[in-house]
Amino acid sequence: MKLRSIIGGLALMLTSSMAAHAADPVKFALCYDLTKAYTFVTPQVAQAAKDYAELLNAKGGLEGHPIEVIVQDHGNEPQRGIECYERLKREGVMVFDMLSTPVSRAVLPRVMKDGNILMQSLAGRGDAVDGDVFKWVFPIGPTYWGQAANDIGYIKQQSKGSLKGVKIAFVYVDYPFGQEPIGILKTLAQKEGFDLQLFPYPLPGNDQASAWTQVRRFNPDWIISWSLSNMHVIASREMKRNGISIDKYIAVNWLNEVDIKNIGADAAKGIKRGTNVAGGSTQPLVQEIIKELYDKGKGNGDRKNLEDVYYNTGLAIWSIGFEGARLAIKKDGWPLTPQKLKDGLESIKGFDANGLMAPVTVTASDHGGGGKTRIEMWDGTKWVPQTDWIASFPEEVWSVVKEQSAAYAKSDANK
Amino acid sequence: MLFRQAGILHTNYTQDRALFPIPADRWMIGGLLLLAAAAPFYMNSLYLSSYMLPWLVWTAAALGLNLILGWAGQFHLGYAAVMGIGAYAAVHAQRNGVPWEIAIVLAGLTAAVIGSVFAFAALRVKGLYLALSTLALQFVMDWTISHVPAISGGTQATLQAPDIRVLGWAITSDAGLYYVALVWCVLVTTFMLNLRRTALGRALVAVREKDYAAAVIGVNSFYFKLVAFATSSFIAGVSGAVLIGTFYHAVTPEQFSVDVSIQALAMVIVGGLGSIIGSYFGAGFILLMPGVMNAFISWLTAQFGFSLGIETLAHLPHALYGALIIGFLLIEPLGLGKIYGNIRDYLLVWPFGYVKK
Repeated sequence: MKLRSIIGGLALMLTSSMAAHAADPVKFALCYDLTKAYTFVTPQVAQAAKDYAELLNAKGGLEGHPIEVIVQDHGNEPQRGIECYERLKREGVMVFDMLSTPVSRAVLPRVMKDGNILMQSLAGRGDAVDGDVFKWVFPIGPTYWGQAANDIGYIKQQSKGSLKGVKIAFVYVDYPFGQEPIGILKTLAQKEGFDLQLFPYPLPGNDQASAWTQVRRFNPDWIISWSLSNMHVIASREMKRNGISIDKYIAVNWLNEVDIKNIGADAAKGIKRGTNVAGGSTQPLVQEIIKELYDKGKGNGDRKNLEDVYYNTGLAIWSIGFEGARLAIKKDGWPLTPQKLKDGLESIKGFDANGLMAPVTVTASDHGGGGKTRIEMWDGTKWVPQTDWIASFPEEVWSVVKEQSAAYAKSDANK
Repeated sequence: MLFRQAGILHTNYTQDRALFPIPADRWMIGGLLLLAAAAPFYMNSLYLSSYMLPWLVWTAAALGLNLILGWAGQFHLGYAAVMGIGAYAAVHAQRNGVPWEIAIVLAGLTAAVIGSVFAFAALRVKGLYLALSTLALQFVMDWTISHVPAISGGTQATLQAPDIRVLGWAITSDAGLYYVALVWCVLVTTFMLNLRRTALGRALVAVREKDYAAAVIGVNSFYFKLVAFATSSFIAGVSGAVLIGTFYHAVTPEQFSVDVSIQALAMVIVGGLGSIIGSYFGAGFILLMPGVMNAFISWLTAQFGFSLGIETLAHLPHALYGALIIGFLLIEPLGLGKIYGNIRDYLLVWPFGYVKK
């Protein structure tokens, strides 16, 4: 009996491996920083990509072609990211994601020259949403400018449609990530007449004391914060110390359940974040993954990560990537080329991965997919949406994008 | 046997001061140069563009750091910042229409000027205090680059580098870029080899051993420290510019951050202070070993069918890599260059080992 089941198992393995060989796989490269600065998000994103790929493969893959997810560590070092890109591009990979701003920037000139797809949601140059200039780059999701504008949009809703005299503090970590929204915030402050003040604090963000005493003196109505993971925890401590209510605090999308736990679930009550994905494992797609994989003991990582919003962020990024590839095969057939993949991604319309994220519509000129986000509030146990998926002040956001991408296009033409 | 010394007789001073008095060394260098020059013909483009090229450029940079650290004995924790100055200077010059050949010289000069202006202040202190003040140079540069849009290229903080042209030829192929890097590396190596037998080199060594003693025998230690800073900054600046021109094609502040300074320092220390061949080994080890380890571990798991988590798979090579560094430094504290030296010393008299004793 036992022998028979072993033989049966072997036969099954053989046939399944043969089936996998029957159709060529579609390869996706996740060159991620799994060891240095981005470790607060990359494991969850990679896990989500692998889980979702497995789920799709069980259903027959992308129009019959299985998905192969290749994960490699680059330690946030540009030269190792370039090595990852150069190696995998020779192995037939056409879709890359670096999930690191320095590495995305370093790979970008090569991607543009070779004509491969660079997915760079939430990292790298924001102006790459301009598909007319950055033909091969797909930063699907909101730019930081878009997110900041949406935060202002939310505050405008809360102040009954007028921002005149509203005091907004922008607290940010003083390096390019934190500095990015300053331009758009200033433009909007001029247009809407709110009172904006900037409060930078230095890297690595462990000491924010001086910034927050200044915030206390300013006594803002709202605080928009561009910080990463643990910096929010430090900020919450400083707010407590300075007697600033935490429900004025609107975080950028980099605030997850681990940070909430570190702040304290009760102490964090009222904190807000802008996000382009719905968090939590109650989402239909996550439920499906739990049923098909984790309940059968086949998940690609720790089950507790499924509660993490970054897992859903990963699902959002890669469901779009896989959907684009599927559309490409469906429209133009096998074998895939980067051009076909680009066309496939650009034909994504109103895709929301079963309610997981803001509906995404990618066009040849908008590679960001609309840039919608919503504001959520932590109520002590879960995140409660405060708005619909919104994209506020699109004209102002796009004028910043166009200005930056034009500068890139000019320097590219000067080559 | 291999390094036969029999029959090598010097009849004049020029012969006596030759770089490589032993024929075996000359043959080896010649062979390596040939191999390096022919690399594009037998090496696949991945190895050429992603391993060989950055290795050569980083070796040149490490040699520059070795000049200040290994020869002059002055700590420098802000070396990447100096490379960054060169990189930004070259890219800005190029974007303003300066030909690349002149742009890299400008890069070197800018780095040398800023590096030695800074050294004026920093050299008033010694040892660990100097190390800290060079670290300050790093942070001042980081801050300046990220807060002056005119330097960094706006909020995106990335400047696209124009393609490099040498004598009117646009260089875009892997092989062409590789040769540019090779030429620069060979130039710096030749300079460093010759430095050892010049008055400047000897003065630097005197300053390194004890600056009071050097002053007593008439070596102006402040002056020579300054010269060392300027020269090493020049090499750093050009290397930074070459790195951008041949490898990165765009310049961003993270490429020259404090982590990179530490890496450069590790290259010199692991390779061996004051050792030229050590700089080659050190740069290769620090730069390429993480990738090699990564590939090795992935291959191993694939071979034996382990299924490791994504994170374990990423951290394991780092642990091994760290263990390797410690291992090598335990075996030979003077670095990889000294290990090579030991092997060579052994072969010098092999098979008559008792000659040494």
